[in-house]
Amino acid sequence: MDSVYKTVLLDHFHNPRNKGDLDNMDRVRRGSNPRCGDEIEVGIRAENEVLESVRFRGRGCSICLASASIMSECTKGLTMPQARQLIQQVLEWFGDTESGAPSNTTLAALGAVRQHPARKKCVLLAWMALDETLANK
Amino acid sequence: MLAPPGNVDFDAIRKDFPILSRGPQALHYLDSAASSQKPLCVIDAIAECYRSQYGPVHRGLYPLAEAASEAYEKARQTLARFINAASADEIVFTRSATEAINLVASGWAGQALEARDQIWVSQMEHHSNYLPWQRVCRDRGASLKVIPLDCNGQLDLDSADGLFGDNTRLIAITQVSNVLGNINPLEKIISLASHNSIPVLVDAAQSAGHMPVDVQALNCDFLVFSAHKMCGPGGIGLLYGKKERLAQTEPLLLGGGMVDQVQSEASLWSDIPARFEAGSPNLAGALGFAVAADYIQGIGRQAIEKWERELAATAFEALSEIGGMTLYGSENSEYRGGILSFNIDGIHPHDIAQIAGEQGVAIRAGHHCCQPLMQHLNISSTARASFSFYNNKEDIAALVMAIHETKKILGG
Repeated sequence: MDSVYKTVLLDHFHNPRNKGDLDNMDRVRRGSNPRCGDEIEVGIRAENEVLESVRFRGRGCSICLASASIMSECTKGLTMPQARQLIQQVLEWFGDTESGAPSNTTLAALGAVRQHPARKKCVLLAWMALDETLANK
Repeated sequence: MLAPPGNVDFDAIRKDFPILSRGPQALHYLDSAASSQKPLCVIDAIAECYRSQYGPVHRGLYPLAEAASEAYEKARQTLARFINAASADEIVFTRSATEAINLVASGWAGQALEARDQIWVSQMEHHSNYLPWQRVCRDRGASLKVIPLDCNGQLDLDSADGLFGDNTRLIAITQVSNVLGNINPLEKIISLASHNSIPVLVDAAQSAGHMPVDVQALNCDFLVFSAHKMCGPGGIGLLYGKKERLAQTEPLLLGGGMVDQVQSEASLWSDIPARFEAGSPNLAGALGFAVAADYIQGIGRQAIEKWERELAATAFEALSEIGGMTLYGSENSEYRGGILSFNIDGIHPHDIAQIAGEQGVAIRAGHHCCQPLMQHLNISSTARASFSFYNNKEDIAALVMAIHETKKILGG
């Protein structure tokens, strides 16, 4: 059986990057999935449209938390339009299309979850919250 | 075929279920509360129906159609015997237990409920025995009242002020909780309710295939369950209703097969139960349902109940010995059917279920369509192992291994 619990995901679950305090963030948005009780808050701090910091806090399953951690790492340093483009790529990757696998190897680790459609929402929760943060909705 | 309780070879019974030996990986199916597996006799009955018996029910005059109608009504009689209904006319086939509850909510409560009236449910109800009452109460300006639970998840009847009072029009309650496994004291509730002529609807989805259910002994007014949770096919369930209660009920669905005379202004419904079965009846479903009932009856529900309780008690003990576990529901196996919900500190139930799945152990994770109960327990979800008579102690050993594996991977 091809487990989703691979080294990269487990590393981000056990040692989450950029998790915790959101006090110094410019903007914070919350994403929640009431069906499983997952709740993630995502915050950003930007200077001249460049993401200096992407952080999160909350509760969720290992996939949800690992995905948030990977996201925070992969989007830091991007311009806001670049970050939104990456989010779009991840959404499409987990959508119905076969295209759009990311070249970033850390991000590619999330691909193991694609064969478990019931867990897609877990992966995408933080990404959608970040998208809302960037759109300033 | 009837075997005395406690004298059934449950290991041999596993051979009746082809899916349990499909390989290559062993299947430890501990999700029967969601939907049970099917024995060969049910699979064959459905195939045989389509192969050699299939025709329209109550619609044709040629021999094939007449035989189909007769077989369908015979299935109704089998199900009536299964729950000891006084008459087969008190059995209405529906698509599901859910539809059966909706039929009573719209067709019975929706007709008579007034503003000061109350409908009572419990805090452990499945959404299907909660939402229909919530809506009908809202629509009629009545109140939905909830029987609270104590810290063991047992009904706290003493705190349910007015439960048996003059304003209560119906009590709708489950026989066995689909999360906690708790068996509710229905005899006591129905006896107290009947003193004040309060009708009671019993959700028997988790009990009908697992313990003796006798509607006349229970003296309930309505009772619902589905076939697929008791070894039968999907897409069919039933509503039992006392004759006088069904007579007070308006049909939920209107259409073919439920009407005697249609005129431009008004129409005349068919007799009960046909008036509640609009649309072409599900012949294969009804036949499969009846074969499942006979199969379970043949094993004996007392023996099934005893074995499933033993499995649940064994699992409860085995899981209690693992560190960092929270087990929900009653510790006393007298009050527990074959359902066991649990959590592991620091690990999300979805992760438990997924890792268990990779080990061939099928368990459920989530809120189990019981958000009011989750609110009472102050959690968002649990992992749940549920047992059927085709499970054995190896399934429990596999569950324990899967929990250890989960803890190893995710460090709980």
